[in-house]
Amino acid sequence: MAVLIGRKVKKVYGKKSTAQEVLKGIDLEVNKGEFVGIMGPSGSGKTTLLNVLCSIDFATEGVIEINGQNLRGMKEKTVANFRREQLGFIFQDYNLLDTLTVKENILLPLAIGRLPKSVAESRLKELTHLLGITEILNKYPNEISGGQKQRTSAARALITNPSLVFADEPTGALDSKSATALLKNLQNINESKKATIMMVTHDAVAASFCTRVLFLKDGLIYSELYKGDKTRQAFFHEIMHTQSVLGGDGYES
Amino acid sequence: MSLSKLVLRSMKKNMKHYYLYFFALIFSVTLYFSFVTLQNNAEVLATVEQSGTATAGFKAATYMLYFIVLFFVLYANHLFMKRRSKEIGLYQLIGMTKGLIVRLLAVESILLFLGAVVLGILAGFFSSRLFAMILLRVLEKEALVTMTFSTEALQQSIVVFAILLVIVLVQMAWMIYRVSLLSLFSAAKQADERVKRFSPLQMVIGFLGLIFIAYGYYASTKLFDINSQGNLTLNMIIILATTIGGTFLVFRFSVAFIMNLIRLKKNGHLTARDVLALTPIMHRMRGNAKSLTLITVLTGVSLGITTLAYISYYSSESSAYSQVPGDYVLLEDKGQEFLKKLEDNNITFDKSNFRLQSVSASFTQLLSESQQNKDNPLFGLEGIIYTIPLSDYQQIAPEASISDYDVILTNYGGYMAEMFPLEKDRDVVVTTGGLEGTEEETLHVKDVRHESIISGTVTSGPGGPIFVVPDALFEKLATHSGTSEWHKQTSIKIKNKSDSALAEKLYMQSNGEKYIESYEEQRKGNIETLGITIFTAAFLGLAFLMTTGSILYFKQMSEAEEERGSYTILRKIGFAEKDIMKGIYMKQAFNFGVPLIIGLLHSYFAVNSGWFLFGSELTAPLWIAMSCYIALYAIFAVLSVGYYKKVIRESL
Repeated sequence: MAVLIGRKVKKVYGKKSTAQEVLKGIDLEVNKGEFVGIMGPSGSGKTTLLNVLCSIDFATEGVIEINGQNLRGMKEKTVANFRREQLGFIFQDYNLLDTLTVKENILLPLAIGRLPKSVAESRLKELTHLLGITEILNKYPNEISGGQKQRTSAARALITNPSLVFADEPTGALDSKSATALLKNLQNINESKKATIMMVTHDAVAASFCTRVLFLKDGLIYSELYKGDKTRQAFFHEIMHTQSVLGGDGYES
Repeated sequence: MSLSKLVLRSMKKNMKHYYLYFFALIFSVTLYFSFVTLQNNAEVLATVEQSGTATAGFKAATYMLYFIVLFFVLYANHLFMKRRSKEIGLYQLIGMTKGLIVRLLAVESILLFLGAVVLGILAGFFSSRLFAMILLRVLEKEALVTMTFSTEALQQSIVVFAILLVIVLVQMAWMIYRVSLLSLFSAAKQADERVKRFSPLQMVIGFLGLIFIAYGYYASTKLFDINSQGNLTLNMIIILATTIGGTFLVFRFSVAFIMNLIRLKKNGHLTARDVLALTPIMHRMRGNAKSLTLITVLTGVSLGITTLAYISYYSSESSAYSQVPGDYVLLEDKGQEFLKKLEDNNITFDKSNFRLQSVSASFTQLLSESQQNKDNPLFGLEGIIYTIPLSDYQQIAPEASISDYDVILTNYGGYMAEMFPLEKDRDVVVTTGGLEGTEEETLHVKDVRHESIISGTVTSGPGGPIFVVPDALFEKLATHSGTSEWHKQTSIKIKNKSDSALAEKLYMQSNGEKYIESYEEQRKGNIETLGITIFTAAFLGLAFLMTTGSILYFKQMSEAEEERGSYTILRKIGFAEKDIMKGIYMKQAFNFGVPLIIGLLHSYFAVNSGWFLFGSELTAPLWIAMSCYIALYAIFAVLSVGYYKKVIRESL
């Protein structure tokens, strides 16, 4: 079953004279339980695509449906509610609020909704256990490490049981050890909770944790790789190969 | 690129940041210039010269105003510099020396000042006309205000703002030389400093703050209580110290502590309001405590001054009435000619006669035990008290009845009555008579009342006490009428208010004949002596208010900018604009409401402790002054909510 459907998604920045077409008509479908990676050289439109798909930005043309709901024509309030209830977000720079503790940050998306406290607590317990951040719940973001911050951010993204989690370069600011730990966590959650995840990355190692990787070039989908039954190592080499064909060096965002 | 080019470019680029600072400058110049112009205005000068203290008052007010302006501009400049810290850091990064940057910013500041002074003087020129009209209106003078551009005011303003410019430049240079490059870049986000844990010690200190304030309030109610022994000045200092210190402690510790308790109780399950109002306020309290205390105290002080000034203005009628109780008061049957004129002009009036007879008595007998100490001016005082017969008194209070040696003490009012109350149910020994021999009578004071009946001329000062005695007793006392200075008072009440103006004209024709008194003349006299004081107090109050309000607004503007990032995060994860605004309303209610409420409380207790020294009406002036403050604060709060709205809308 498709959680996310994009049809002929186009995005143009700027006025007519200086218009720049960043997305030139992208078609994609993400099924429930998938862990999709989006790769591509800088300027290929990865982040723009993610922003458009997750309703933070608006597509100039095309149709985007999440769980059968069309994003176009929704009011600001409805979009916001939709984002809060259906989507989860993990950002490169964590985007935690400095003035809130880890626990408060994780429970933040529930601040508006009317979820019973007990349900929230049990979800929190499960997630923090999965992500290994039970010990730091009462700390402030400036008291914890980058990896812990990103795991907090992941917990926040998952606390609402979203249909779809968007991750924008989640490992971008992490050292390789924390990055691997986080990716393993995401993979784990993807498998155990059947969470659908869509991740933008420029890192082939990160992408190798996905079940499917899309390659973007100049605003179009250039190719697509499925992991299938391959080992992560083999999948990683396949990704590297595609990347070199693509011509980007892949080490910038 | 030459320095001047760079200056112009950066000014163009920074236009948005300049608005605030520029506005602050223009506002200050306008206020100052119009005030100085006012002092040099011919009509105002002519009016003012009649009262001797006014010129001194004007001078003092000018200094006060200058300090307000100085404080305001320095604060705005500080905020402005902080906002531009990144830019300054960038200049340093590309290799500019600090000296060069100071020069660059100095040129900018000079240009800004020039612009502000020109615009401010223009605005001040027009607003001074408005202020002059208000002043003359307050004084009830009918004069046409012609505004001439006063070169004297111009010179004075230019000199004063040149000095201010120098101070601002020194502040700027000091700020630039003092800070390191690194801190310039991170000036805007000091999360490490901001987010600290809260300890139980804070609770104790915060609680102490509340106790301090409570004590200060309590002491203020006892300040003019004659029973409390001790030095008035010392007590005042103690009250000031406890309330101001307490305010600081409350802001610094209590607020954050209470909020932290609420927050801990929620155990991580915060609502949108908590996220947007509670936690930011809590974490900002450390840095904001000082300025909030200052703002609160300034609000309290200025509101207190304004209210007291307004009380004396508002009370000018009632204090005139206690001096001249009636539209006109004729003593000893004088002014028959005036009455005839009134009749000739078909002006109808009520006339009530009061027969008068003096007795002398010791006031000590009327004081309660606790009031009998040597600080009380009435203690041991042997004075003249006038008596009037009951039948005359019944013209005013028909229900009054007394017999034998019972008397009613009345006419006692003003601050004397507040500070040194006289008691009923007491026996008073009074003596009458003079050289040919004295007689003693023992009277019993049955009741103490405060209505104004007898002219202040008779009771040697407005609101002096008199006795209402039974007619028989009065006849007895009146056998010694030779020793009494006054024998009769006639109070005239004009029936038709529309005749008042004509009556007053006729009164003026009698040309200062002795023993005819006019209420209207008295009231105008009061207003004239008080008018300038009131006007300057109100002007300063307004200046204070505008400054504190603007500073709160500026603070909120920069807070909004600092929290822009948080709003972006919140909107990304699915908070709608409306959800965020809910929290912002709360936050603004706190940021403007709490200093206002504490300031109002401070001023209430300050005014309450000694208002009777200034006039006879408390409630109405207090409410009116407070409402003005609340309204103006509300305007600033609405402005800052608007700014937040804009920031939040732009944040995604």
